[in-house]
Amino acid sequence: MLVLLQVVAVAAFAPLVQGSMKRLRANLQGRPGPSPFQPYRDLAKLWAKEALQPKGISPLPLIAPGVVLGVALTFAAALPLVAAPGGLDPVVDIIALAFLLALGRFLLALAALDTRSAFAGMAASREMTFASLVEPTLLLALLGGAMLGGGTKLSLLLTAPFGLAAALAFAAFFLVLLAETARIPIDNQETHYELTMIHEGLVLEYSGWQLAMLQFAEQVRQLSFFVLAAILLPGGAAWWMHLPWIIVLVGAIGVTETMFAKLRLFEVPQVLTTAFILAATSIVLRVLGMPV
Amino acid sequence: MLRLAGIIATAAIALTAGCFAILGLAFSQHGVFPLGTLAGPIPILTLVLGVTPLAAPFCAILAMLGTAIAIWSTQRGKPIDMVLIAAFMAAMLLVLVARSVALFFVAWEAMSLISALLVASHHERRGVRRATFVYLVVAQIGALCVLAALGLLAIQASNPSFAAIARAAANLSPGTRNAVFVLALLGFGSKAGLVPLHFWLPRAHPVAPAGASALLSGAMLKIALYGLLLVTFELAAPGPISWGIATIVIGVLSALAGVIYALVDHDLKRLLAYHSVENIGIVVIGIGVALVGQAIGNPALAALGLVAALFHAINHGLFKALLFLGAGVVADEEGTVDLERLGGLWGSLVWTAPLFLIGCAAITGLPPFNGFVSEWLTFQSLVAGVLAGDETIKLVLLSAIAGLALTGGLAAVCFVKVFGVVFLGSARCRTQPRPVERFGGSTLAMGLLAALCTLLGLIPMLAVAPLARIAGAVLGALPIATPSLPVLPATLAILPLAGALFAVALAARRGVRAVPTWTCASPVTPSAQYTATAFSKPARTIFSFVLLPERHRQYEFATRWFPQRIVYHTESRYLIDEISRSVAAVTLRIARRSRAMQSGSLRLYVAYALVALIVTVALAR
Repeated sequence: MLVLLQVVAVAAFAPLVQGSMKRLRANLQGRPGPSPFQPYRDLAKLWAKEALQPKGISPLPLIAPGVVLGVALTFAAALPLVAAPGGLDPVVDIIALAFLLALGRFLLALAALDTRSAFAGMAASREMTFASLVEPTLLLALLGGAMLGGGTKLSLLLTAPFGLAAALAFAAFFLVLLAETARIPIDNQETHYELTMIHEGLVLEYSGWQLAMLQFAEQVRQLSFFVLAAILLPGGAAWWMHLPWIIVLVGAIGVTETMFAKLRLFEVPQVLTTAFILAATSIVLRVLGMPV
Repeated sequence: MLRLAGIIATAAIALTAGCFAILGLAFSQHGVFPLGTLAGPIPILTLVLGVTPLAAPFCAILAMLGTAIAIWSTQRGKPIDMVLIAAFMAAMLLVLVARSVALFFVAWEAMSLISALLVASHHERRGVRRATFVYLVVAQIGALCVLAALGLLAIQASNPSFAAIARAAANLSPGTRNAVFVLALLGFGSKAGLVPLHFWLPRAHPVAPAGASALLSGAMLKIALYGLLLVTFELAAPGPISWGIATIVIGVLSALAGVIYALVDHDLKRLLAYHSVENIGIVVIGIGVALVGQAIGNPALAALGLVAALFHAINHGLFKALLFLGAGVVADEEGTVDLERLGGLWGSLVWTAPLFLIGCAAITGLPPFNGFVSEWLTFQSLVAGVLAGDETIKLVLLSAIAGLALTGGLAAVCFVKVFGVVFLGSARCRTQPRPVERFGGSTLAMGLLAALCTLLGLIPMLAVAPLARIAGAVLGALPIATPSLPVLPATLAILPLAGALFAVALAARRGVRAVPTWTCASPVTPSAQYTATAFSKPARTIFSFVLLPERHRQYEFATRWFPQRIVYHTESRYLIDEISRSVAAVTLRIARRSRAMQSGSLRLYVAYALVALIVTVALAR
């Protein structure tokens, strides 16, 4: 039951986090910006609208939004929050989580290719390629802390002490998070120019209630990533520290998005490689038991 | 008639293989189940047959693939191929039950030669003859290494039966042991397609008929791995830790090289062959963990690695056969396997397309299919190895974790490309619609394989529990417990599946209005779709240091400023080809120089022989 509560809580706050980030970014850029609650209204409006879709040859574009939402909710259920040590934590470990995220991405990319749009194909190619570079970093950044506790469970992250190695792991994870949540400097959620889109290009052909499902899934996935990042920060083991750390993360991303421009496409791999080196250094320090 | 005979023979061999698998499993606590001994004229030629627990999973692969291919062949393929396939199956089964050096080697050679006949099936094409030649050369050099390794062991044990060799294994000197390992790695590794001896595989596998490609990739590569397991865990066991580390490094390199080359390849069958290199690499990583576990005295870790390796071997057999058979249907129906000329096949191949999708999901390691479970187990074995090993092992296994994660990600890119370009969107070259595919023998065969992929994914314990018993019999310990495994795939799948059903139900209730695709107001044409070359462009750029891509662009101008046509051609060079080409060049140069010594005069050659004799005698004294 607790795990259900956890999913509901993450799902309920996910649009608010998205809205706050948008508002903060607007304010930092000297614009008033929409209310933090705007995403709720957007979702409600989209949900009520009819869905338009180019007729795909397969049912994949039809089922993809549902699968992506299912993946996001499973991710939220697997977080080691109130539900630890019960819930999904004994079953869904860090490695399974990486495979799970791949499932949603795979279907969405296929759905994009079925639309016959060159923009969607381009986005699918970029999203999949960058995701493949992110995956090793994601695993190493999370596994380091868990392996100190002797396993691969997400809840073991709660027991890992904070130090230099943990800070490196967090830095790597932060870059992973920017990539996974389609943030500047890696991607840009707000772009209206098809050629620069990565993630938004994938969902270009979705509208109405189908788009609502996809946007909601993105928000849930984003908040789940934030929670994992908060757990990696000092004191992240305590549940009451999550909220302040998430607020700090929202601020940090807002500042990052304001200070940096989107990188040229082929400079993104360099950022991802940097993240990988940070994660690798961190896990080597930890696994070899260096006193840091 | 010929076809029927072939199908019945294949089915019978598959049935026998199935019985052997059950026998091997049932007798796993008692070691070998003897099938018979045939005394030869001299002791070295004694033939011993028996089913070991280690051979049981490989017999199971033969049983499942044999059945599927027998069903498949009721509808497709040439009759003569079916007879060859039956003989090929028989040779592979004989390798698995051979328990003496002579029989093993004869069966091994039979397997190589019959498979070469299958590769040469379309010998009227020049490229096919070339591929067959390369395959035969590598197969024969590999076979010589295998013979040398087994011969060395038989001489040390002064007995050609595997049982005696295994008993004498404890007395091997480290030098001999390592020599045997290196020879076995060369011999079996080249057959399995491990980097850098993989280069024959992407040439030979795609040119064979579909059923044969499925067996070559799905089964024969596993037989080679069985050979490696046989030598490292029975005949020359136990090995030092360096064996495990060398195996893991080769495994990671194979996995990465396989997937990177697959990513930029646009011939459906050759691309699948490269993925075989990748997946064999993943299996070999598991074998390496097992060797490390054995060397550091942690049999539970060794058993976990072995279970992961065996399970992935079975899984790869299933989904790779499924994909090759699917590619066979595409080749039959469309007359090409060039990705750039296909597209939109979901519309006509209504059975093949969804089954092929299951194969793609399984090979990518997506839950809840079988590939996910065995890759997850491989990761678990690596993590357990990092926790148990010393500094060197920790670093090697951590690199393996990173390499395996990258492999998984790149495999996903590749199979999105394959499935999206071949089956989704609209046809790129064809204009008139094709007839809709009917359910028949070939679809039934693929359906069987897809059902097995799903079943072993959803209920992994069906395979993991017997494999754990086999690992226990081979290594004397049960694998490290993975308590979450029985429910893991279902847990991951339930919400996405519910979501999919929800989305479909909602679409049925509320309706989705069909509109044209948004292409910035330009007309939607099939040629505007993203191509496979375009799809793999980012990866080609990122991995250009391995792929060494070459681009050719040609502009045809109608007016001075605006090109009417742009011809774009890109090709990857193969590092291994470049290296072998330079080796060949050096060899030829040396040969040309040494021509000075070759006058063709008989007296001179006699003199050479005499000098050589004197030098040898002088050195020997």
